[in-house]
Amino acid sequence: MDILRYGHDAWGAVVVNGLSWGLLPVAAGAGVAVIVIHLVYRAITRASRSATTRRQEH
Amino acid sequence: MAVETDAPVLRHAAIDRLFHWVTAATMTALLGTGLLPIVGLKFDWLDLHWISGLLLTAAVLVHLLRVLTVQGLRAIHLRARDFAELSGARPGKYSLQQKLIHLAWSVAVLVGIGTGIVLMIKAGTPLFARNPYLLSLSTWGTLTVLHDASALLSVFLILVHIYFGLLPEKRMYLRAMTRGWITRAELAENHDPERVARGE
Repeated sequence: MDILRYGHDAWGAVVVNGLSWGLLPVAAGAGVAVIVIHLVYRAITRASRSATTRRQEH
Repeated sequence: MAVETDAPVLRHAAIDRLFHWVTAATMTALLGTGLLPIVGLKFDWLDLHWISGLLLTAAVLVHLLRVLTVQGLRAIHLRARDFAELSGARPGKYSLQQKLIHLAWSVAVLVGIGTGIVLMIKAGTPLFARNPYLLSLSTWGTLTVLHDASALLSVFLILVHIYFGLLPEKRMYLRAMTRGWITRAELAENHDPERVARGE
């Protein structure tokens, strides 16, 4: 996947036009990945916290 | 004397809440007008885009003015001691995560505004006569790369920001950003009231 978008100037030389729009799903995917990782981390820490609480109650 | 634990404590003044929601609305408009045409929804996006950008610029200038004259940077400034929160220390007004996302937003928004204002000259708007020859093609390209990078960073940040804002255990911050306050108990449970009192 390209990182940049390219075009040509009046003499045919390659010039950079901007970032590749193929990176848009990467940016959105990175956001979703952070959310999923945090949800898993949150579920694990909550489960271990409630297990500790149950052990202390016994 | 007993202290009421559900007594409200002001977290965000009305003008700061207004800034947040104006920023949210203009960022949504900017990303919508900038990115929807790329995913195939074609419409006349340019005027909506630069008008939203100017509104965002005005909001950021008011925010900067307020920070420099009234609020100061003490509460939001990232310090080495903030990383002690990773081992259980309680934060001042803003947590480490809140400071980091504010820093990331600052970079995304300031880069987007700085490059966007110059790119308005290339595109042509009622404010600036169109002059695509002002800069070289490679300089326009570099500015566009930075502008695009700020858009992509903003897409990432919006997803993460909305997710954390909607988590049940963080809902008090959403309330603070809509109604202004958290309770004294929420402050004591999630923050170090002494650091908050010192303005940190």
